[in-house]
Amino acid sequence: MSTQAAFLHSVTRSALQGALMVLAIGLFWEGLVLFADIKPHYLPRLSVILTSIFSVPDAYVAGFLRTMTETLLGFAIGALVGVMNGVIFSQSRLLRETIFPLFVISQTIPVIAFGAVVVLWFGNTILAKALIAFYLTFFPVTVNTLNGLDAVDRNQENLLRSFGANRWQLLLRLQLPAALPQIFVALRLACTLSLLGAIAGEWFGDTVGLGVLLLQAMYNEHMVALWAAILMSGLLGTSFYGLVALTERHVVFWKAEQL
Amino acid sequence: MTTFLSRIPRSTRRAATGLLGIVILWECATRGLDLPSYVLPSVSSILQAIVEQRSVLLGAAWITVMEAVLGFLAGTAAGVSLAIFITMLPFTRRAMLPLATALNSVPVVAYAPLILLWFGIGPESKVVMVALAVGFTVFLHALSGLDRVDQRAVDLMRSFGADRARILWRLRIPAAIPLTAAGMRVSTVRSMIVAIVTEMLGATGGLGWTIYQSVLQIDFIQVWAAIFVASAASLMFFGAVTVVEKRYVFWR
Repeated sequence: MSTQAAFLHSVTRSALQGALMVLAIGLFWEGLVLFADIKPHYLPRLSVILTSIFSVPDAYVAGFLRTMTETLLGFAIGALVGVMNGVIFSQSRLLRETIFPLFVISQTIPVIAFGAVVVLWFGNTILAKALIAFYLTFFPVTVNTLNGLDAVDRNQENLLRSFGANRWQLLLRLQLPAALPQIFVALRLACTLSLLGAIAGEWFGDTVGLGVLLLQAMYNEHMVALWAAILMSGLLGTSFYGLVALTERHVVFWKAEQL
Repeated sequence: MTTFLSRIPRSTRRAATGLLGIVILWECATRGLDLPSYVLPSVSSILQAIVEQRSVLLGAAWITVMEAVLGFLAGTAAGVSLAIFITMLPFTRRAMLPLATALNSVPVVAYAPLILLWFGIGPESKVVMVALAVGFTVFLHALSGLDRVDQRAVDLMRSFGADRARILWRLRIPAAIPLTAAGMRVSTVRSMIVAIVTEMLGATGGLGWTIYQSVLQIDFIQVWAAIFVASAASLMFFGAVTVVEKRYVFWR
């Protein structure tokens, strides 16, 4: 079997397994609520939640698309800036020692507290949420890129140097590929974080989005609507995560054993 | 003076320079452009507010830090145990990993309204939220670290008759600790953020609650004062974890 076909085969297989797993979890949930007699105030039946989503899907679809846009925007910028930061810091000791501590401090600022100020600065726009998502995303990517680049085998580095490789070649041929597994660990984290930022960013007076749906459901103590919003967030998170994990398997093919 | 300065490590000096630069830039920008305090208050006015409100802010910070630390410890313990459990019993991997991934795919903040309704608005709900957030991060890092051993080393140990527990103890855990520690380091800050976010949705005290109240009262100097205190508290937390890591992960 060619590698391409093998890759496709493994993807379909894990997709099938995933679907089966979702089905199993769904059945387990439904059965648990039915037979353990859990009060709907704690955990409503899955079927009730799904019915409520499909009976009025408009708000959920609109919220899904809105939050997705904010998340993807923040993630893309965050991943790009994070990898660039990691490369720059690995090349320059001066910049690393001057700016990296500032990044660390910047991450200790609870961005959500800051959310009120960000929304004040940029208005209730997609940009404001994307900025919050970016703020949460770029730091783990920076850290893991830097760690990955630093952890390159000295012998391999010396070997390439002895063949006359310059800094740029060393980076592209050895350091970045060697750092890729670490970078992808951060990217997988970052897709969850960017979604988190987008959702929490919507809590400052927006009208569309999954975060808004969550908040409204909480204030009304409407358990079914709350779970519906959680499931939609999970759907968005899973699709996004799956996409990143798929890319990882394709790019970091030498690390076969991933999720 | 020079001897005193040169005794401080170069990296610390550079970090201090960077920080000082930002503070000066901020102060000059707010004063020079005469920005209103709801856009950006000056650093000096924020510091003044912190000094004036110190007892309130310290009390709030204490509550938030306790929630974050308790949740952090619980989450780390759960994440590491689960990763070891899955490594020791590979057949559970198939079942546990998709379940963990499914739970993790829902962003932690989306659980916040639910956890608040379940556990009430007291500190318990914040500890649970922090433990959830930290647990997943540490779990992913620990598992990736436990997997990241040279297969030849495993084979070698096996050929000498080592069982799974011994391989875990002698090979996998030492290999996993640096990555796990990195996950913990990233989680420290997140645990403060999650505690604060959850407090903003509903609480009886804490920095997030203070921030939310100040936003409602349009008191932006107070918002920034609370942000500064939160930042300082997380920095200390981060520093403590880093010191522990440097001390015990000595082979890195």
